[in-house]
Amino acid sequence: MNKAVVATGLRKTYAETVALDGVGLTVAEGEVFGLIGPNGAGKTTLIRALTGTTPLEGEISIFGCEPTAVDSDRVGLLPQSFSPPARLTARELIEYYGGLYETARPTDDILEDVGLTAAADSWYETLSGGQQRRVCVGTALVNDPDLLFLDEPTTGIDPAGRRSLWELLESLSAGGTTVVLTSHSMAEVQRLSDRVGLLESGQLVAVGTPAELIAAHGGDSRLEIATEANETAATALTEAGFAVRTTPSRIIVDGVSPVEIGHAVEVLSTAGIAYDSLQWTEPSLEDVYLQLTGERFREPLRAASSAAGEETDSLEQTLAVGGDQ
Amino acid sequence: MSRSRRIRAEAIAAWHSFLRRKTAVFFTFFFPVILVVIFGALVRTQPTEGGLFAEPAAYYIPGYLATVVLFTPLSRVGSEIARHRDDNRFEKLATTPLSRTEWLVAHTLVNTVIIGLASLLIFGLVLLLTDATVPVSAELAMLVPFVVLAVVLFCGFGALLGRLADSQDGVIAASNTIALPLLFLSDTFITLEQLPGWFGPLVELSPLTYFARGVRALTYEPAAGEPYLGNLLVLGGLAAVFLVAGAYAIPRTD
Repeated sequence: MNKAVVATGLRKTYAETVALDGVGLTVAEGEVFGLIGPNGAGKTTLIRALTGTTPLEGEISIFGCEPTAVDSDRVGLLPQSFSPPARLTARELIEYYGGLYETARPTDDILEDVGLTAAADSWYETLSGGQQRRVCVGTALVNDPDLLFLDEPTTGIDPAGRRSLWELLESLSAGGTTVVLTSHSMAEVQRLSDRVGLLESGQLVAVGTPAELIAAHGGDSRLEIATEANETAATALTEAGFAVRTTPSRIIVDGVSPVEIGHAVEVLSTAGIAYDSLQWTEPSLEDVYLQLTGERFREPLRAASSAAGEETDSLEQTLAVGGDQ
Repeated sequence: MSRSRRIRAEAIAAWHSFLRRKTAVFFTFFFPVILVVIFGALVRTQPTEGGLFAEPAAYYIPGYLATVVLFTPLSRVGSEIARHRDDNRFEKLATTPLSRTEWLVAHTLVNTVIIGLASLLIFGLVLLLTDATVPVSAELAMLVPFVVLAVVLFCGFGALLGRLADSQDGVIAASNTIALPLLFLSDTFITLEQLPGWFGPLVELSPLTYFARGVRALTYEPAAGEPYLGNLLVLGGLAAVFLVAGAYAIPRTD
């Protein structure tokens, strides 16, 4: 399959801060590639590098060209924290950005795609935050790009709007558009992306399909039981061969497959234990994210524990339990 | 064709954005009006006495026009660049076919229209409120290229300011700091005779001087017949230099 994006050895520094540190990346044509990572991990810098809007060390090829030399009709961008002129209507903004290209998609089609037909003639500044973001997404679609860069496209959009935008992106992907997106919504990235890259401190620490990443780093599926009889339930389940952890509010049974749920329920029932709720959870991309970026949160606590003279291991264990929740 | 399409799209967006900021529209036109009213109608010129405003009223037409030709593009283009940068609009535009030169040309066109209208307003007010008389001839039409070239020049200058300043506030402060001395020390409101002799060469360094002298040759009877084409050529050359420098200065992202 042809490559839409090939990047090798990307390195970018801002004064003392290393924003990107040897990042390499390949995105095939038609693929949806999701970038995840903590704030400041380098996601936006990477998007800027790939769109040729920031200079850096390393090599980038977009459809076989340097980012600044690629045919701009083939690329669409939604930058992070982007605000277009506030006193233009949604329709005028789509027409404005469309007017910058030799040919543009019909304005009404774009407005319909992003669900803004009814609000088309309202000034941008009078739209809700979610509607504003949808206008911004629309401005990235005006030239019907082959490669779409979306830096946090659904920030501020309500759940219904987010889902309709996901459907739009899925239809674009089905039509062959290559998409590189960043997001802090793991559900979004997991649903939309063919492959995911996790950036941490400027380095791409994991790349793979969501399933591959979850299998490698997501941990086990688990059953969470909310009951007032924590200790009794834990004992019964442990005796039945389940791996059990307890928190103040619930019991977590690790490694429970769907067919074992009935057995766990039977154990509780036999022991006469009432419970308020049962929740079975598959490992997700969020678990991968927490697993791979967890060190960041442990370090300050480790320092705090040393100062307090506590055992480091027990604190890490507590946090790992917390991270799984 | 596509270049004109892009410039048109950018200019229309900029024009609508300006028209819909009512305070910006009001003060863009009110500022020169109040200057003419204060200095032309209230203070009045004193042709027989020394000091400021000692020349006939028509002598100061270049100065009044300079207020809009100088201040408006400096602050508007500079602020627009700061606003674009704050809102990541240049990052977005960098991935479109619109070039930085086209962006600046589009905004210069909008400023030309705004400043053209403001200049007409000033010209009318000076004639209406003061006893200024302007020699009417076909050459008066040469005011148009003077105003246009000066707007181009100061739009380029404004782009440089927008690049250097790190905020909209910074642009406004910088443009006022630069424009105020330029306005008074460019053979506009203060004659060369009122300045120390050593200051004369510095006046020649101000781009506004060539605008003022050229406009005066066209609008002030005692200066009529003085060659204005040389001033127009210098102004044109400087406008080209500042347009190129301004376009180059427009940021992409970092």
